[in-house]
Amino acid sequence: MLQAIDLVKRYGPVLALDGFSLSVAAGEIVGLVGHNGAGKTTFVEIVSYLIRQDGGHVTIDGRPPSASRGRVGVAPQHIALYPSVTVREHLTLFGKLAGLRRAALDSAIEELTVALRLGAFIDRRTAALSGGQQRRVQAATALIHRPGLLLLDEPTAGADLETREAMLDVVKQRAGDGAAIVYTTHYLPELVELQATIAVARNGRIIARGTYDELVDGLPGEVRLIHDNEEEVRVSTTQPAATLIDLLGRAERPISTIEVHNPSLDDLYRSLAVSDAP
Amino acid sequence: MLLDTGYRPGPAAALRESLYRIRALANNNTLIRLRDPGQTISYVVMPMVLMLVLKPLYVRAVEGGTTKVVTGLLVMFSVFAISIAGNAILAERTWKTWDRLRVSRAPAAELLIGKTLPIYVVMVAQQTILLVYGCLVIGLPIPGNVPLVLGAILLWAFTLLAIGALLAAIVRSHGELSVITDVGALTLSSLGGALVPLSLMPEWAQVAAQASPGYWALEMLQAAVSGDAAGVVRPAAILLGIALVCGVFAIRRLTRGWGRGGLL
Repeated sequence: MLQAIDLVKRYGPVLALDGFSLSVAAGEIVGLVGHNGAGKTTFVEIVSYLIRQDGGHVTIDGRPPSASRGRVGVAPQHIALYPSVTVREHLTLFGKLAGLRRAALDSAIEELTVALRLGAFIDRRTAALSGGQQRRVQAATALIHRPGLLLLDEPTAGADLETREAMLDVVKQRAGDGAAIVYTTHYLPELVELQATIAVARNGRIIARGTYDELVDGLPGEVRLIHDNEEEVRVSTTQPAATLIDLLGRAERPISTIEVHNPSLDDLYRSLAVSDAP
Repeated sequence: MLLDTGYRPGPAAALRESLYRIRALANNNTLIRLRDPGQTISYVVMPMVLMLVLKPLYVRAVEGGTTKVVTGLLVMFSVFAISIAGNAILAERTWKTWDRLRVSRAPAAELLIGKTLPIYVVMVAQQTILLVYGCLVIGLPIPGNVPLVLGAILLWAFTLLAIGALLAAIVRSHGELSVITDVGALTLSSLGGALVPLSLMPEWAQVAAQASPGYWALEMLQAAVSGDAAGVVRPAAILLGIALVCGVFAIRRLTRGWGRGGLL
């Protein structure tokens, strides 16, 4: 569905993309992760045809982004809504721009109102909504026409639990319907829940790609126990669960605190940064 | 099920779809205008008050004072209305909504038409209301050639819209736009003879006036109101030229988007 090969993009002296390659199949969710400045948003903007790449090429269903306008649903990182326009009016505008008419438009609005839990504020102006509610509205405007390719750039940034749950449910459903989805985030657990393929961007290129298990396999987590006499035990381990059971079995004093840290996104970055170093 | 089928319509269907999208955009922009009408109202009410107050002065000072006070203040406050166009376009940049629209199926031309059509209607309505008010309340003779006057209003509104779009495309904030439109509008319109009759201004100002679009608008409107079709042609041509230059530049800039180079 989406093929990006060797993309290069410069902003003056800054090389934002440096041989960025990524493919996403229909029905696949690719979680694009990376620190700020890794090139995620630049990639999304190129695929959306908002900016042009300086090198490499992109195709969406075999066509360039310029010929794919309207076939892509984009929810940008920043909130981009009309403050004095209601949620329903937003959905109507973006639905009509995508060519939806009467019954199809009403049905699409109804479906997203339920799926993204917009009902309580559907007729309120977006300026009066919370950040999480605005996130959901923004996602709804990207989803309204059921595009074949969805680009969701940090759709849950700063969002509350309800927004996150609703968003993940809808993304899973759309992938199940056959949409190719690029989902950028800083939260690995979301990608685990989405069962996404994870692509790690660093310095303008993809440096690793795989499932969560494949990428974190072998990375150490940590088990931390504190006994009632405040004696602390910390163990770095690649098998936190087994290590915890073992420690509990051998504990001779009551335990007041148990903490288990699975490998985090930062652990993953660090391990990749080390392996990526010259 | 995904609705996006990649269907490509024939020319007639494509035109219908294009009009459908433009209507959706225009409706959205009309809503935004209607929900924030303060600026528009003030640019209609203020010249009405000033016409009443300044009419005796104009009538005593110059020949054809009634025509001059009506057309002069009409031009002056229509120049102020550039900020309506500028702010409306600049707001899309502030809200970051322009890029959302650029990703949609609507090509740049549709986005621009849908965006500017309601503003254009507001500008035409402002001038028409002021002219009708001038006839009914201030005592401006009812123009003999109404289509000529209407044509002049349509062209002047188009010129203002293009200048406003150009400003919105190049300024970096609402503050900058406000400075340019307020100071610029006052300078250009008064220099053009919209506030004080040109004949009462210093000689240097009378020469410099010709660099102001306001001067040519005043020439065109006064000729149109008096039914002088031949007198309309030259200022209309000059204003059309200004509109096209500004419009083309603005379209190029807006079509490309602001990207990350914009400061907003």
